Amino acid sequence: MNYPIWLVPFLGGSWIIGIISIIHIFISHFAVGSGFYLALTERKAYKENDEGIYDYLKKHTRFFVLVTTAGGAITGVGIWFSVSLVSPDTIAILIQNFAFAWAWEYLFFAAEIATAFAYYYTWDKVSKEIHLKLANLYLWFSVFTLVIINGILTFMLTPGKWIQTHNWLDGFLNPTYFPSLFIRILIMLAIAGIYALVTSSRIKDDNLREKMVKYSAKWLMPVFVAGPIIGFWYFTQIPHETIMTIANGIQTSGVGNFSILTRATYLSLILSGTIVVFAYVGPYLNPKGFTFGISLMFLLCGFMVTGTTEWMREMLRKPYTVYNYIYSNGVKKDEILNIDKMGFLKSGKWANACASKTDNDIQKGQIIFRYECMSCHTVDGYRSMKKLLGTRDQDSIVGFLNLLHQTEPAKNPYHGIMPPFAGSDEDIHLLSSYLYSINNSPNSSDHKISSR
Amino acid sequence: MATELLPDGTSPEKSINPLFKWLNDRLDLVSIWQLAQKKEVPIHKHSIWYYMGGITLMFLIVQIITGILLMIYYVPDLNSAHASILKINTRIDFGWFVRSLHCWAANLMIFVVFLHLFSTYFMKAYRKPREITWLIGMGLLVLVMGFGFTGYLLPWDQVSLFATKIGLDITSKVPVLGDQLATVLRGGSIISQNTLSRFFAIHVIILPLLLFGLLGIHLLLIQLQGISTPKSIKVSEVKYEKFFPDFIFKDLLVWILALNVLFVLVTFLPWGLGEEADPFAPAPIGIKPEWYFLAMFQFLKLIPAYIGPIEGELFGITIIGLIVLILGLVPFWDTGASKKLSKLATYFGLIVLLSMIIFSIWGALS
Repeated sequence: MNYPIWLVPFLGGSWIIGIISIIHIFISHFAVGSGFYLALTERKAYKENDEGIYDYLKKHTRFFVLVTTAGGAITGVGIWFSVSLVSPDTIAILIQNFAFAWAWEYLFFAAEIATAFAYYYTWDKVSKEIHLKLANLYLWFSVFTLVIINGILTFMLTPGKWIQTHNWLDGFLNPTYFPSLFIRILIMLAIAGIYALVTSSRIKDDNLREKMVKYSAKWLMPVFVAGPIIGFWYFTQIPHETIMTIANGIQTSGVGNFSILTRATYLSLILSGTIVVFAYVGPYLNPKGFTFGISLMFLLCGFMVTGTTEWMREMLRKPYTVYNYIYSNGVKKDEILNIDKMGFLKSGKWANACASKTDNDIQKGQIIFRYECMSCHTVDGYRSMKKLLGTRDQDSIVGFLNLLHQTEPAKNPYHGIMPPFAGSDEDIHLLSSYLYSINNSPNSSDHKISSR
Repeated sequence: MATELLPDGTSPEKSINPLFKWLNDRLDLVSIWQLAQKKEVPIHKHSIWYYMGGITLMFLIVQIITGILLMIYYVPDLNSAHASILKINTRIDFGWFVRSLHCWAANLMIFVVFLHLFSTYFMKAYRKPREITWLIGMGLLVLVMGFGFTGYLLPWDQVSLFATKIGLDITSKVPVLGDQLATVLRGGSIISQNTLSRFFAIHVIILPLLLFGLLGIHLLLIQLQGISTPKSIKVSEVKYEKFFPDFIFKDLLVWILALNVLFVLVTFLPWGLGEEADPFAPAPIGIKPEWYFLAMFQFLKLIPAYIGPIEGELFGITIIGLIVLILGLVPFWDTGASKKLSKLATYFGLIVLLSMIIFSIWGALS
């Protein structure tokens, strides 16, 4: 509410972040996982004195450098742009707390990129021992980028003692830090294997292709052996309320939208299960029949698993962006009482500036809608208000907003699912006027104030 | 007995465990293995269509398992049917999941059966000696659509009631036996408990029995006759791979992909339930049948009430019947002996397919 709003029609800003992030994660996990893959496979080539593996690795490295540096860089910058525009309040908190950690992360990231290029350009130009050292160096730099970013990502779900101390290290080494770190490393190994299957399926020599396809398929095994155990550990560390939301959705997924977290969890588990079967009956049992086309389908499956799992992880901390501290709409939990007294439009700097440009109730209500609701809803697209409001009259909308206004869990059935409404009775009136106008005005949802 | 039977090249007698030996003595597993080794699948640019039959089978397995689970809680009684589905959707752990799997897999199965049918048609795989396989395939398509039609009424909500009413009205217009057939299905002159009971029995007993019988023959014939290669593919362009294990493994991968599509649909779009059916309420506005009947529905809608002395719907159904008949009898008029007839069969198939797509989209949008 202190920054301008980025309007993304139909899809909503959160999905813009989501789409870019999922692509970025699928690439960045490949980057770190490949640190292990390149180092261990190069060691294998030297140990077995197999020139075939050596030649394959050279080609694989070109693919790896292209994908991780170009794709990773574009999507990485994309995340910063989109996150800063969609959730400026949250990103401000993260920067204020983790500036030092991020500085280190950038340092390791720069070193990682430089080492990746050095690794690629020094094939056959330096001794085997030095080249292997470069592989090991890349591995360490890439793992350190994970070690740091993992602290910031997990902080958002389980800020731990930080809530009381506001000490960055308390937030960094939070309850889900270690389970998340270990499970991510396992997932990264699997993703490195999936990408390697694409390149190894193109090897011309039949024997070498079968050997490398089978070898790359084995990289999926660690996550399926240790993954469930670490996954269970991870789930024991997440907030109890989140677990309850998943449990409630087990029965009610057939009706209503509030079971989306449960459904995302199902999908993540099911797709993860099918991918292991795919890896086993495909490249592992039948490396001969594992063609380039099938490897691309497998890559798509891997992308789907990554996408749903990351989506589920994001949903775990809803309706917060930093659990128990700041809601997804940028309203801090401990500011709600103050906003209720002052009124929403008077509490936020930018919201106040926008509201001062109009005397129209509907337009003022639209400003509140954009700040308080649009982080999760759109007017007529994703989680469409048009659809959700249906034929409700203004009184019933007011009644609903009054329910949302309650901060006590017993009085608000949407507690833990949606942020409570922050604002005065006047704000409720303004917002309800706008919401009612969406389905009941000749120019519904077309109140242009952004140009003012 | 041959000694090069196992995939690793070892003799079965040497490496086999006692259980295998015990089973082999009774079931002659080695001969089955030999047979599987001999069976080959052609690989060429149209090979992808060979997977459609397997995907259909996989969705059928999903249907059987989820159907049995749903039967545990479903009550085929007019006063309880809707409530039992509501209970499955809201109070039974994972009930919504099983029901959504059943409903989505049914739709996907019908879609893949259509793909299977038309791919077989355009590859001319119906020609000698596969005429019977083709006819049975057509019969299976009718059965699958019958499953869809009878299953649609079971939740007993407003849409299912009125869609069934429309379907039975159309059935009654079928020449000669239509009226009697609709009455038998309905169990009287109006949709009632009799209809629900009959549809339930047809859905869970009669159709499955017919399906298993026809499917068994269909699969047996495929095993006996092998997989056909389109004549348009040159012999030099065709490679062969072993059915077991090479093709089977690839088939499994395709199954996994198809399952993933099913799970994504189930998770993002769980199957809902409308208001309980009220036979005395007016029909919901814009009521339409399921997508696989939409082309036929739209076509019948376009026909005027009377064409000369003939009733419009009767005329439309006769036309549809003739098209199905020509399609079904294609192996007997396109035997491969005449290039002209071969081309005619291709164009006829294309017109039918395009018409189905256009009428379905038109029906959905109108």
